[in-house]
Amino acid sequence: MTELGKTGAYPVAVGTSLGGALFIPRNVAIVVVVSAVTALIALTAGGFWLSNFTQAYCIVLALLGCALLYGQLGLVSLCQWALVGAGGWVALRVYHSFHPPFVVTILAGGVGASVIGMLWGLPALRMRGLYLALVTLMLAGAFQVLISVTSFPVGGPGFLGQVGMSGNDRVMMARPIFASSDTAYFLFVGFMVMLAIFLVETHRRSKPGRAWALIRKNEQMAMASGVHIVFYKAWAFALSGFLAGVAGALMAGLFGQLDDSAFAPTDSITIFIGTLLGGTGVWLGPFLGGILTRFIPALLIDYNVNSYVGLLFFGMALTHALTQAPEGLGGQLTALAERLYEKFKRRRTS
Amino acid sequence: MNLLPFVASGIGLGGIYALASVGLVILYRASGTLNFAFGAFGALSAFLAWDLSNNGGVPPPIAWLFGIAASTGLAYAYGRIVAPRMAHRDRVVRAVATLGLALIILGALAWYYGVGIARRIPLPTDRDFIVLFGVRISATRLVALGIALLMAVGVGLLLSRTRIGLAMRALASDRKISATIGIQVTRIDSFAWLVNGAFAGIAGILLANLNRLDPPFLTFLVIPAIASAILGRLSSLPGAFIGGMAAGMIEAVLTGVPEVSHFRSAGPYVAALLFLTVVGTGQGVGARE
Repeated sequence: MTELGKTGAYPVAVGTSLGGALFIPRNVAIVVVVSAVTALIALTAGGFWLSNFTQAYCIVLALLGCALLYGQLGLVSLCQWALVGAGGWVALRVYHSFHPPFVVTILAGGVGASVIGMLWGLPALRMRGLYLALVTLMLAGAFQVLISVTSFPVGGPGFLGQVGMSGNDRVMMARPIFASSDTAYFLFVGFMVMLAIFLVETHRRSKPGRAWALIRKNEQMAMASGVHIVFYKAWAFALSGFLAGVAGALMAGLFGQLDDSAFAPTDSITIFIGTLLGGTGVWLGPFLGGILTRFIPALLIDYNVNSYVGLLFFGMALTHALTQAPEGLGGQLTALAERLYEKFKRRRTS
Repeated sequence: MNLLPFVASGIGLGGIYALASVGLVILYRASGTLNFAFGAFGALSAFLAWDLSNNGGVPPPIAWLFGIAASTGLAYAYGRIVAPRMAHRDRVVRAVATLGLALIILGALAWYYGVGIARRIPLPTDRDFIVLFGVRISATRLVALGIALLMAVGVGLLLSRTRIGLAMRALASDRKISATIGIQVTRIDSFAWLVNGAFAGIAGILLANLNRLDPPFLTFLVIPAIASAILGRLSSLPGAFIGGMAAGMIEAVLTGVPEVSHFRSAGPYVAALLFLTVVGTGQGVGARE
């Protein structure tokens, strides 16, 4: 990061303004990589695979939040997928009540999950480490019980929006007009992923990012240097919840409805494992981790292999990541790319 | 409304939760690792016991012992081989690492034995029962409670009366100083893993009898068990025992209240959450991260 963002006569270090200069290699890399992967998938995949990659992108969104909490603050959240469910519930509820434009529905889901995430986070603000992980796991467990009793709204009357046993009058949530086909919807979700990566990166490189780094290093020190610990921690929980909520709303848009059996605590655990597999140091980590989290199970379904083999794979990959590769897949690939780039530059100058 | 029958059924479940949470606390106190693979160890033990006696023609008691030995052995191997390599990482990472082990065991069992098939392990005590306050309590439930009590007391005596128990208590209060004064940390750690594996094996077989023999179900026994252990602040054995009994009772009694019976399995979680929010983590082991 050698570039200095210049505003008027005052040189401002990268990160003080909103992320600094725009055309730095990282930002270019985000646009190029995400667009290329999205375009490649949109051109080649169809039906089953397109749906799975759309889900994978929703997981990327949720995982970005999880990676933010773990990477910036060292907080282990084991309820991220439950927050996706909460966001999806709010989005469906808002959709069936008001039929607003799709983007508003997404924002409603995001804000809803963000508020819930913050409320969940508040008692946890005093907790760190293992206890936070346990509290969030308990929340994920409680959410599963709650959602399997209440179910997701399907357009029926009342607050819960249920339609009774037959299920014939279920109303599906409509996709936006500009993205009604599967491919267009996938591209739309891909664009959302790119925006989300920029949102997180901007946070990481500006004031909140520095506050988080200080809090992670030493809370007393952070407090002494005037960092409002409660505010910035709550902000991190809110941002992470927002991303999860957007993911939930997009999932609801993909299927038109949500299945209440799909929000078990295991899924939240898988999200966290995906976070560790991808790594949290660079943005590429959550991107790859999220895709992997859905790609492996989809591959097994495609080849008609028992889906539990996926757990076997994730278990082994997790053990490997923890003992051998703490920087994760994203970290390893970024390091490789940087090495190649250096080599390339040296050859050109010599 | 008469809730007594539900209390009776809660005795068995409470016993198992108590067994599990005492097993978790023993290991957590000594080595600082919260074992998310506890339920998976139990599932392994239960499936081996069931497979050997059902398909292998082995007499049931020997099959049970074999199952318990397998989970104990696996836990010991993990404590001896993998855990020392993770010892320098912080507590969350070590706990997450056991999650990896849990997924490996769960994946393998579910792949090999299948999921969602109605199975359970029959025990000879199933047909006996006693009648207490007009309520029939099956002998297996009493056995579960008895085993839980016996093992908790046994472990309490082990900690307070033996050399190895003294070493375990020393590790619980300070690992570095314990190592300096010559306690073999890895040996004590792996012993704690061994105890943990044995508890898991027994709890798994009992739960596979009282409820059902299903890999995911048994593996996720660990979540209510952790909730119960939290009620004991992850450090007190009597606390963990009472927490386990309470969690089992809450879950069973809620079955009898129609308004909330759908939410019953959230009972232990909500109790643990309330406990953490109201009472806090205290100055216990959790405070020293």
